[in-house]
Amino acid sequence: MDADARAIAITGMGAISTFGEGAGVLWDALRAGRSGIRPLRHERAADLRVRIAAQVPESFDPGTHFAERLLPMLDRTTQFALFAANEAVRQSGVDLRVPDLAARSGVVVGTGVGGETTHDEQSRRLYGEQASRVHPLTIIRVMANAPASVISMVHGLHGPAFAVSSACASANHALAQAAVLIRSGMADVILAGGAEACLSFGVLRAWEAMRVLADDACRPFSASRRGLVLGEGAGMFVLESMHHARARKARILGVLAGVGMSADAGDIVAPDPAGSAAAMRRALADAGLSPGDVDYINAHGTGTPTNDPAETRAIHDVFGAHAPKLAVSSTKSMHGHALGASGALELVAVLGAMREGVVPPTLNLDVPDPACDLDYVPNEARRLRVAAALSNSFAFGGLNAVLAVRAA
Amino acid sequence: MTQVLSIDDVRGKVHAIIARQGKIDGATIRDESTLRDLGLASLDAIEVIFEIEECFDLTFPEQGIDFATGTVQHLVDAVVAVQAAGAGGKP
Repeated sequence: MDADARAIAITGMGAISTFGEGAGVLWDALRAGRSGIRPLRHERAADLRVRIAAQVPESFDPGTHFAERLLPMLDRTTQFALFAANEAVRQSGVDLRVPDLAARSGVVVGTGVGGETTHDEQSRRLYGEQASRVHPLTIIRVMANAPASVISMVHGLHGPAFAVSSACASANHALAQAAVLIRSGMADVILAGGAEACLSFGVLRAWEAMRVLADDACRPFSASRRGLVLGEGAGMFVLESMHHARARKARILGVLAGVGMSADAGDIVAPDPAGSAAAMRRALADAGLSPGDVDYINAHGTGTPTNDPAETRAIHDVFGAHAPKLAVSSTKSMHGHALGASGALELVAVLGAMREGVVPPTLNLDVPDPACDLDYVPNEARRLRVAAALSNSFAFGGLNAVLAVRAA
Repeated sequence: MTQVLSIDDVRGKVHAIIARQGKIDGATIRDESTLRDLGLASLDAIEVIFEIEECFDLTFPEQGIDFATGTVQHLVDAVVAVQAAGAGGKP
């Protein structure tokens, strides 16, 4: 298969994040080096040890975005996914209602846990308030495929549609799956990305018990790092075969040139640099890129003591002498760790960097760590022409997915 | 309110929890051993912390104690310190 047949055109993007509604506001904040991490907004915040988070602002009003008949079936996760998908489709200008195209269009949405807000609310009714029944649409809202299903309904997509789940790598796995579907010839257009909204009392308590959360700021690659900061949101993209995008003269935002996936098959939480390196190598090979072609890596960069040195080692392994020349940044320092949505928010960062020739920074990198010795673009964005980039996601459970992106 | 235990009682219980979680002979546990020395990987260490919190009905601070690389003595001291600070009880 020639390179053009393997490359996937990205023709639309949409997002919702701690910075509010839209991929534009997300990119503007990342380029400006603005943190979206704030005091936790939660009715039980006083009972929690979680102090900070990157939450979608209260100003987000689903009632102004979605049809009234649809609202009762939408968990917060699906609201985010649908919002982002609508924005992406609008931007792409693709008319998915044409019958022949509808049959060859689909949707793949990554989510770590699915409809947690609904699950939490209805469980509280049952176990806390001793209610005898739950809301009749509970199953419809909770199911992990709800975002994919609702997007297929709203946009009339009759091709392959399903959910993908791999914790913090869910979005990247979903985007990889979309690329595979398009390359295989099973679809011409796939809406793909990730969505997460799981900051319920129960889930926050569970994260506390893991003891991996920072209590003041997210400081990836800094010796002062104290853990990750949870976030929420969604990012969705319109992916098309290059042939299809060119035929309709679409504006191409970037090219998903390759994907690389691997499993550590080792520890359930501790990352294995060999697994991360394998995913990066496979993404490069799949894209037909050499290590020296890459200008920028949007790192997984969670800010946990374990991830950051392991990821640094993996980058050294893959890039060798080119590693010190790479710009590597963790935008999680700004948009938080939105779990199943993270890879999608980070793809917005990668596409922004390519479009504008500006690499977003890693915030709060105040104390160098000898175990983290790459150029992390500390604290301020940098002018840099980005022709090719990787975007890393390494999940709990040892599941890795890396995207290789080229400028259009 | 939980009864404050002597340091020897705390030590005995902490050793028992580590032995159970790590499936090791309690007699092999030394106070200067780290959990890693005793073969408890990262996730086992988190479970040991949880079991200790449950056993003594207390909550360790979010930061400041490196449970995987700290020693058994550190764990015992941390329990005693949290008890002495009156931080026992559910958060």
